[in-house]
Amino acid sequence: MSTTTKGYRFFLLALFFIMGIGAERVGLIEYYSDPWEQEYVLFLVRQHLHLVLISMGMAIVTGLAAGIFVSRKKFKKYAGIVMYVIGLGQTIPSLAVLAIVMSFLGIGSKPAIFALFIYSTLPIARNTLAGILSVSPAIIDAAKGIGMTPRKILFQIELPNAMNVILTGIRVALVINIGTAALGYLIGAGGLGDLIFTGINLMQTDKLLAGALPVILLALIGDYLIELIGVIIIPKGIRLAD
Amino acid sequence: MQKKVSCCVVAIALVCACLLVPDSLLAQDKKITIGGKNFTEQYILPELAKLLLEKHGFDVELRTGVGTAIARQSLENKQIDMYFEYTGTAYTVFYNQEDIAIMTDPVKVYEWVKEADAEKGLVWLDPVDFNNTYTIMMRKEDSEQLGVKSISDFGRHVEKKPDDITFALEAEFWERPDGFRALMELYEFQMPVRAVKRMDMGLTYLALRNNQVTSAMGFATDGRIAAFDLVNLDDDKNFFPVYNPAPVVRKEVLDKHPEIREILKPLAENLDTDSMQRLNADVDVEHKDVTSVAKQWLKDKKLL
Amino acid sequence: MDLLTFLDQNLSRTFFLLWEHVWLVALSLVIAMCIGVPLGVLITKKKELAQKVLGGANIIMTVPSIALFGLMLPVLALVGHGLGKVPAVIALVLYSLLPIIRNTYIAIKNVDPALVDAGKGMGMTKWQLLREVEIPLAVPVILAGLKTAAVMNIGIAAIAAYVGAGGLGVFIQQGIARSHEAMILTGALGVSLLAVFVDLGMSSLERLLTPKGLKI
Repeated sequence: MSTTTKGYRFFLLALFFIMGIGAERVGLIEYYSDPWEQEYVLFLVRQHLHLVLISMGMAIVTGLAAGIFVSRKKFKKYAGIVMYVIGLGQTIPSLAVLAIVMSFLGIGSKPAIFALFIYSTLPIARNTLAGILSVSPAIIDAAKGIGMTPRKILFQIELPNAMNVILTGIRVALVINIGTAALGYLIGAGGLGDLIFTGINLMQTDKLLAGALPVILLALIGDYLIELIGVIIIPKGIRLAD
Repeated sequence: MQKKVSCCVVAIALVCACLLVPDSLLAQDKKITIGGKNFTEQYILPELAKLLLEKHGFDVELRTGVGTAIARQSLENKQIDMYFEYTGTAYTVFYNQEDIAIMTDPVKVYEWVKEADAEKGLVWLDPVDFNNTYTIMMRKEDSEQLGVKSISDFGRHVEKKPDDITFALEAEFWERPDGFRALMELYEFQMPVRAVKRMDMGLTYLALRNNQVTSAMGFATDGRIAAFDLVNLDDDKNFFPVYNPAPVVRKEVLDKHPEIREILKPLAENLDTDSMQRLNADVDVEHKDVTSVAKQWLKDKKLL
Repeated sequence: MDLLTFLDQNLSRTFFLLWEHVWLVALSLVIAMCIGVPLGVLITKKKELAQKVLGGANIIMTVPSIALFGLMLPVLALVGHGLGKVPAVIALVLYSLLPIIRNTYIAIKNVDPALVDAGKGMGMTKWQLLREVEIPLAVPVILAGLKTAAVMNIGIAAIAAYVGAGGLGVFIQQGIARSHEAMILTGALGVSLLAVFVDLGMSSLERLLTPKGLKI
């Protein structure tokens, strides 16, 4: 991460501080100071994270598996079609996916988690596939040359080299997931959307912001965390090569 | 050359876009904007008003599907010209009044809010006869099994076995002075916060039907209550005020078109609880289209 | 009630909402192009700005759309435009900026310097170079950015129905409130089909507009 980006993030924190003053004017600080409301906001954050973490967990496992699966020699010829179909699937709006799942599975957090799971798997699968396929054939040849089994090649060559792209897919999926989870309230799944939509319907700005800000923070933190993970787990050699 | 062409195209596109704006922002002479809240009855009432007004040469635009606060604000901000408000709602929510003697008497509460709003330049036209009150609902089997027929029974059951009962409501019902928190105070029970599930408009009926909660809040005239086999608990302590809907119009608009009062009068004279419930059921249960349901009813009453 | 019956009875309303939806997306794309393309061109000439502008647009993308609406409503309410199409269009424009600016920037930067040199050799001015070499070569990439923005906007416009902007999201909102499955599906499938259709359509347009030279 370059210094300019770091500096920008710091500037953003300063901006938040100034917005804090504005928030006070609108009653947001008062809202957060109310112990009952505090408890409720924390409860909603937990609900929100519940939706996000479970669906992301399943999505990462499924997406990685699917991406790896299609990249294998036997199925490589379908890679193009699979990418195309996934690409089309990604154009479908998040609210539509939630609504369609609700029509079949009813309301509550389980249908929402399912919808989030489907929606998040797509970018991860796509990026896993693209990442693995983009590993230079020369490197793979060299690995074969020194006698590595396909399994070893996968885990020691292909995945590490593809990790940058894969992590980008996970990052994108996570940010979208956190935003879409806020819509989960509309199909009865709770989460921070409760405060946002209640604030909109009742014209209570303090509630609206009390819900919107944590969602934004979660998205920014999630984005940052995945980037951090990338820095940690990607071997320096590969990172520098990008 | 290319640059000039692309600039022209953009400019033309922008002009066209502005002209083709779906909302007609151009002021017209006989134009009325009717607002509406976000539950079924509040889609039907404006539609009825629209059809009647259009018959008399008005151009009507509907802006339905918002919460009470927004509808009221839009009226006060002149963004809409009228909408149907309930006497009880205006009394308890806008004016924070608590006098039980007034709010349970349909005539008294109507006169009270009419006078209060007149000072704000808002005119209450003739009220419609039915009472669309909030109601606490349970599934029929549960109500019979637990022997809970009234809200007092409900309160007692909650106090005895707090883990048994969950309650789904819409956020507005939680926040309002005529809402759940005040109700719990009057009926002297306290439901644990975790047991109260907030959800978006309309989901409460589904959640109750699907057994995801043991009780839920609803509107008395909603067709889904009968269709989903739900029962209304009796408000034995008379907590809820009377909710008669009436068109509330901005004074300037009424002064400009005083005939509006007469045009909308037939609604007050012909719409009763049974009719409204049937209209609601047609839309909510039969899933008939709001416009055709409204049109059919008006035709049946020889009003169209 | 099944889907076909619903469509049959509500065809004109469906088309009206579809039109509203398309109008919201199209208007915001036009505005975003007017702001984004010149900005994209500008930051190719001024490298210091590039990081800041792209970073800023990136941050906006991280903000979930409903949260952005949430932030804008109280501000716009002060000028009487809290709900309705105005906050929707503003949000849609903001979200469209990153794909458009970034793709314009990448597109122009990636123009083969040999071609630019050839142009300079022919005596072209900076403006002429831009108009006749850089932009035509950049068009397919810019179009790709426009495609991304369009598809994204169709999704966000569906959510905008909850702040009174109209569009097919209204069917989703009202359908859920009235437990009207056919209405929900009409809205949901409607926006999905619209998104897929626009995506495919713009991909074809991209291929059409790629200068033949580049296709080789």
